[in-house]
Amino acid sequence: MPGADKETDLSERIESFLSELKRCGSGAGSLRGSAETARETTALLRRITAQARWGNAGDLMEIIRKEGRRMTAAQPSETTVGNMVRRVLKIIREEYARSRGSTEEADQQESLHKLLTSGGSSEDNFRQHFAHLKANVIEAINELLTELEGTTDNISMQALEHIHSNEVIMTIGRSRTVEAFLKDAARKRKFHVMVAECAPFCQGHEMATSLSKEDIETTVIPDAAIFAVMSRVNKVIIGTQTVLANGGLRAVNGTHTLALAAKHHSTPLIVCAPMFKLSPQVSDTPVQSHLHDLVKLTSILSKVNAHGPVFDYVPPELITLFISNIGGNAPSYIYRLMSELYHPEDHEL
Amino acid sequence: FCVPRSIAVGGGNARHEQPLLQAVLVADSFNRRFFPITKDQPRALLPLANVSMIDYTLEFLTSTGVQETFVFCCWMASKIKEHLRKSKWCRPTSPNVVHVITSDLYRSLGDVLRDVDAKALVRSDFLLVYGDVVSNIDISQALQEHKQRRNMDKNVSVMTMIFKESPPGHKTRCEDDDIIIAMDGKSKRILHYQRAQALKRLHFPMNIFHSGSDEFEIRFDLLDCHISICSPQVAELFTDNFDYQTKNDFVRGLLVNEEILGNQIHMHVTKDGYGARVSNLLMYDTVSSDTIRRWVYPITPEANFADQEGQSCTHSRHNVYRETGVSLGHGSQMEENVLIGRNTMIGANCTISNTVIGANCVIGDNVTLDRAYIWNRVHIADDVKVKQSVICDNVEVKHGVVLNEQCVLAYNVVVGPDITLPEGTVLSMHHPDEEDDEDDDEFLSDDNDVGYRKDKTKQKVFNPAEVGSEGKGYRWKTSSLEDTEEDELAECIWGLVLNADPESDSESEVSEGSHDLGSHPASPELDDVKVFQNEVHGTLQRGLDENISCDNLVLEINSLKYAYNISLKEVMQILIRVVLEFPFHQQGAQISTAQYSSHLLPLLKKWAPVFKNYVKRPQDQLDCLASMEEVFLERETHWAALVKVLMSMYQLEILEEEGIMHWFNQGSTTDKSQQLRRNQGLLKFIQWLQEAEESSEGDE
Repeated sequence: MPGADKETDLSERIESFLSELKRCGSGAGSLRGSAETARETTALLRRITAQARWGNAGDLMEIIRKEGRRMTAAQPSETTVGNMVRRVLKIIREEYARSRGSTEEADQQESLHKLLTSGGSSEDNFRQHFAHLKANVIEAINELLTELEGTTDNISMQALEHIHSNEVIMTIGRSRTVEAFLKDAARKRKFHVMVAECAPFCQGHEMATSLSKEDIETTVIPDAAIFAVMSRVNKVIIGTQTVLANGGLRAVNGTHTLALAAKHHSTPLIVCAPMFKLSPQVSDTPVQSHLHDLVKLTSILSKVNAHGPVFDYVPPELITLFISNIGGNAPSYIYRLMSELYHPEDHEL
Repeated sequence: FCVPRSIAVGGGNARHEQPLLQAVLVADSFNRRFFPITKDQPRALLPLANVSMIDYTLEFLTSTGVQETFVFCCWMASKIKEHLRKSKWCRPTSPNVVHVITSDLYRSLGDVLRDVDAKALVRSDFLLVYGDVVSNIDISQALQEHKQRRNMDKNVSVMTMIFKESPPGHKTRCEDDDIIIAMDGKSKRILHYQRAQALKRLHFPMNIFHSGSDEFEIRFDLLDCHISICSPQVAELFTDNFDYQTKNDFVRGLLVNEEILGNQIHMHVTKDGYGARVSNLLMYDTVSSDTIRRWVYPITPEANFADQEGQSCTHSRHNVYRETGVSLGHGSQMEENVLIGRNTMIGANCTISNTVIGANCVIGDNVTLDRAYIWNRVHIADDVKVKQSVICDNVEVKHGVVLNEQCVLAYNVVVGPDITLPEGTVLSMHHPDEEDDEDDDEFLSDDNDVGYRKDKTKQKVFNPAEVGSEGKGYRWKTSSLEDTEEDELAECIWGLVLNADPESDSESEVSEGSHDLGSHPASPELDDVKVFQNEVHGTLQRGLDENISCDNLVLEINSLKYAYNISLKEVMQILIRVVLEFPFHQQGAQISTAQYSSHLLPLLKKWAPVFKNYVKRPQDQLDCLASMEEVFLERETHWAALVKVLMSMYQLEILEEEGIMHWFNQGSTTDKSQQLRRNQGLLKFIQWLQEAEESSEGDE
């Protein structure tokens, strides 16, 4: 039976994606960029939409939500996966509303009073069957995929507006987005980049090698020298792992130090973050990775706890500007972008 | 092995360029270290941070890219099978296909690997692990090195063992498993492998340093992760050498016979990564706390890698993990490194640190838990204190109980109220006396325990002094008044220093190996010696009857030595004894001294080359003389023959005068041996020797 085949094939793909997520780990150890994860997640969700059995939008949302929960649980620190699930859920809502003929806008601009009185009845509205809904949803997901493909290009296109000749730019660790951003600017302008090495994983070294290959004047500095060098720096441009709902960041360890130093010297701090990194999460749980360098301290290890945090929380007040694929935004505007991207009911999967 | 391989390639595996990576997982420890816990549940299924140990092993295998795993189980095989059937490993989507192979006949790792060979399960290099290994080591590099070595010089290297660097004093080092390795620094070849436990002196055979390399390392900072990459030859070698029981036997066997068989063992040392085997409760404690402290990342409790329903938990500061439905009373504190299973209820004002609590437990008020490992459905009443103890499923701990360090409450035990259990108490619902038959099926019965059990009166009532007035359970470990065997057993479970065998020297592996076997060292070893003696006698008899050359006799005795795992010293002692008693066996015990010597002397002459083969160093001579003395002490009537034997051996150049003098002048302990030394003939002989020596000195 081809149907059953399809379904086992689908669940096999989901399983392998899940186990890959689990193994790949997060943060510094991850081999893939989050852009790739976002694309893969979306592609998988498209496949689920196409192949799973569902009669109406409500069913589909239930399936996506269920799989989404599993995917986010598999790698809680990789928020991109959850974000993509929310985006797809939003797409389904929109397509459903369009099929019904009402405008999603009206739904979203509900007043507080309306929200209070309508209760939880919104889910029931998705029970209607529309023949062309599947095709529409898939079409919309395809558009999302196209958008994802273009994010890095869209961000780096704005590079010339921010980087000027003979400036000294500081960055930390390795971010693919920042890398592309700087390289794009280097085609027209001459500038100097300081890369903080970002111990203990020292992704900064890779970043510096990659930049110097493009003939960008690059200097690697140890993390301890960030404050000392900051006075010479015109701009700090960093990437991030997640943009939180309050406009704060969850970024690689050491970013908070960098941001504080930048604030002290009133150096602008620019964050290059594609829209898919925007997460409705606010609070943050600590994520720790393995720190095997500590093994040498054996004799005390049974008495001490060794914590090796991978991410820093950077509060929004330290950030000057976000550059996303749809343009530059201040941290205070993040909540607005959030409500455009995700439906409030999907914040909790 | 060419045949199954070609079939496999023809049968659809052709699209893979590389053959599947296979693993053999031995889900049985073949020992009783976790007794009495393992009476109810096999070790591989014991929960470690609320996940069965075998799941950790399978996760490790899967994440290193193993595509096919053979799980071998013996003890409680059906439980393991059932567990695996329900787990994610047996889902059709699993990237790692798990086959369960069960048999009651497996007694050791050797049996398992012989079965692997018999069933032709492995087609190429495979991983060999136990079902209680927790690891996140990336072995791909080791695997590549192994393959390279095998390609380079035609399958000489049969095995690559994975070691983790961990200096002495490291927590994951377990004293039982301390090893000393001599290796070739360049090629990473293992030259000598020895367990260091309780050894004061170490011996390294000289020949290992003549192997052509100029870089040697002798390392004591390595931890055997019990993960090895084996080639299919390993299984074949186990089949060829039916006496190999453990990996230890195998490694030592290969190293000793390296020149003959031409097989080598290599090693791979990893600096990062975590790998440890839960070989006893102390290791259980260590590995659990390491898991919770996230040293085995990405295998962490909140990852829910086993993918069980409802197992997902949240991770917050100070490594506190909570599964769903946990309720915590007012004023209770989870200080650090705490994992609490789903639907567990904790009362008010509790202090919990470094503790794992399973699912559906109920814990009362004012409870203090430190380094406690509490499994599922445990009830703990108010005002209980627990320190570094293991509490198994369905245990009830009543009001006011204090558990001191290293207590074990096995399944379904009830303790209390108001009792303090001393350090190292082991309570179980199984009476220590009941050595049920099913047990004997699974484990070789250990004679020491049986002996002890018969001593003890068969009392089947619970002792309120041991478990409290409402308690249920029998105490396994008793105070120091009781037999030392009991101490040994209880300490084994925590893996502390085992009763050091006073005779353990470099050959102590005989007893080491049998730990893994599940049999007790003492009795089988004795049997082996006896059987060996009979065999040597038979061999010599045959040699006499069929006029076999001495070289062949030596060869036969050597092979017997390996078959029964007899040390060289013992071989010599037994050989002397057999030869000296030979005339009695042939002519009957009542022969006169004259007849005896007339029979013996030609034999000595005939077999002189055999003796020469074994008696080489001065120490050997002393041993040889000592065993002669022993034989003659048993037969007082034939003392006169001793001097003749000595004389003839001196003339045959088996014994040298210094050796004899040294032996003679040695302070003897017993009256009888002093008597022997005052024997007229002997004194004359000694005098003659002295004169001969002096005259020879004079000649110079």
